Amino acid sequence: MSKDYQLRAAINQKLIEMGERERLKELLRAKLVECGWKDQLKAHCKDVIREKGLDHVTVEDLVTDVTPKGRALVPDSVKKELLQRIRAFLVQHAAL
Amino acid sequence: MSPAGCSHVNGYKVDNWKQNLRVIYQCFVWSGTAETRRRKVLQGDAGWTELAKSCICHMCGAHLNRLHSCLYCVFFGCFTKKHIHEHAKNKRHNLAVDLLYGGIYCFVCQDYIYDKDMEQIAKEEQRKAWKLQGIGEKYTTWEPTKRELELLRHNPKRRKITTNCTIGLRGLINLGNTCFMNCIVQALTHTPLLRDFFLSDRHKCEMQSNSCLVCEMSQLFQEFYSGHRSPHIPFRLLHLVWTHARHLAGYEQQDAHEFLIAALDVLHRHCKGDTIRDDNGKKTNNPNHCNCIIDQIFTGGLQSDVTCQVCHGVSTTIDPFWDISLDLPGSSTPFWPLSPGGDGSTVNGESHLSGSTTLTDCLRRFTRPEHLGSSAKIKCGGCHSYQESTKQLTMKKLPIVACFHLKRFEHSAKLRRKITTYVSFPLELDMTPFMASSKESRMNGQYQQSVEVLNNDNKYSLFAVVNHQGTLESGHYTSFIRQHKDQWFKCDDAIITKASIKDVLDSEGYLLFYHKQFLEYE
Repeated sequence: MSKDYQLRAAINQKLIEMGERERLKELLRAKLVECGWKDQLKAHCKDVIREKGLDHVTVEDLVTDVTPKGRALVPDSVKKELLQRIRAFLVQHAAL
Repeated sequence: MSPAGCSHVNGYKVDNWKQNLRVIYQCFVWSGTAETRRRKVLQGDAGWTELAKSCICHMCGAHLNRLHSCLYCVFFGCFTKKHIHEHAKNKRHNLAVDLLYGGIYCFVCQDYIYDKDMEQIAKEEQRKAWKLQGIGEKYTTWEPTKRELELLRHNPKRRKITTNCTIGLRGLINLGNTCFMNCIVQALTHTPLLRDFFLSDRHKCEMQSNSCLVCEMSQLFQEFYSGHRSPHIPFRLLHLVWTHARHLAGYEQQDAHEFLIAALDVLHRHCKGDTIRDDNGKKTNNPNHCNCIIDQIFTGGLQSDVTCQVCHGVSTTIDPFWDISLDLPGSSTPFWPLSPGGDGSTVNGESHLSGSTTLTDCLRRFTRPEHLGSSAKIKCGGCHSYQESTKQLTMKKLPIVACFHLKRFEHSAKLRRKITTYVSFPLELDMTPFMASSKESRMNGQYQQSVEVLNNDNKYSLFAVVNHQGTLESGHYTSFIRQHKDQWFKCDDAIITKASIKDVLDSEGYLLFYHKQFLEYE
């Protein structure tokens, strides 16, 4: 487990240093807006707030409720594309 | 979750807190550009690499898990494993910032709080980071101003726009051959940017009298989006048009294109109150640099290059335009042959039904180099004498809404007739081949590269079509307008019916309205 963990940390480190993390974030953001994911979740959040009442709901409530749904709703095509990008990046900067 | 912040920040807001907070945002939240990072690493600034490395939880070393930074001391803790919570309890440091999104968490309130001052700092730092990254302005969701909040509270009625709702659609009564006006009104009320301008009440009228056409347009939009389904009677609009554009007065049938230009002109003149003010609060009301909504949406720049055939010197002028009038085959001015090198038709994928003319053909003809024969010599500044020349028109600047006018009405000395040649036009139009910049690359030997096709800036979508049925003497105007991306409706004065895309594309076409697909912030 720990080796896997170290690897992830090292990859993340490289991604940040090369600015690739920011680019990937932007790409993901754009894709999720394009496919309507953002709107879907926004609507869902509004429903939760309406249910719980604006004065009683906390950000944590929303996070707990929305996170699993958000994760599930990401289209496979988007996941594929990002994985491809990360792989390509790693191949390029193989001195890891 | 209170929108007004919490009182627990008061303990933090002491001494140099603003600067400290800025540093946290700059270094850990909106962490700048790849460039600055790379530069710092190359310059041997271990600090940055350290920075990237140090953004991990001080307790478990995780770099994910919603890392937060304590606002009172140098401590990073993950939120998910509650390490930052432990720190907050132990040290009584009750504020932390989310390194991913910049939100401030108060451990006493047990929720994210939105303190005005802190939000302000966060937004400024984010903007700075975007600027450094060369991103410039990014889309941020709308937030109401104080005044808008007031208005929203006083007017609790809300309208929900669903994909099938027909709000914005309304018929117009024909007041006696006024279909030429009705179809233009339909096109204008369905121009998205214009609609947004009027529905957000952006017109500040400075005319003393009641004859402001912009105010009337604003009123018209209110009528169209009121939800009433009965046809509207635009008698006030007609009266104002007669007042300000005398040549259109009377009950005869007029030309819809002429009406469009006259209407845009009057609206542009009456928009004086809405001109942008410069930094000193002075109005920049220079007629050559007007920034009214009409100019922002409809004004493009047409470049005219006159090339001397002897010295090859080029004289360039750029003129503003609101529409492009295109000659058609079958008119008395020759349409064919087209000059070689201009290859627009494959880009736009129009249907060439057994050699029928396309809109792109017309545009190619419009932008072809034209030899101005020996009877039209111009004085060349390079040769200092009269020489033969060629003239070529290209688009220097494209408007957000491009209106194409197919010159179907021929009014030459010999005859007056209507040209009914079918011209096919596309739903999506790429204006790249007709741009001044494209012409320059062609002249420099770089033929149309695939890179140009990727340029989103010149892509347009059809959103309104005005058609004329009948003859020059007696005819009728109708229009097709687009709603909700792919629904089309036919507007025949008071009667609105659903139409198919095929209906629209098969129609003859007289005025074609295209809207830019991608809008950039300035």
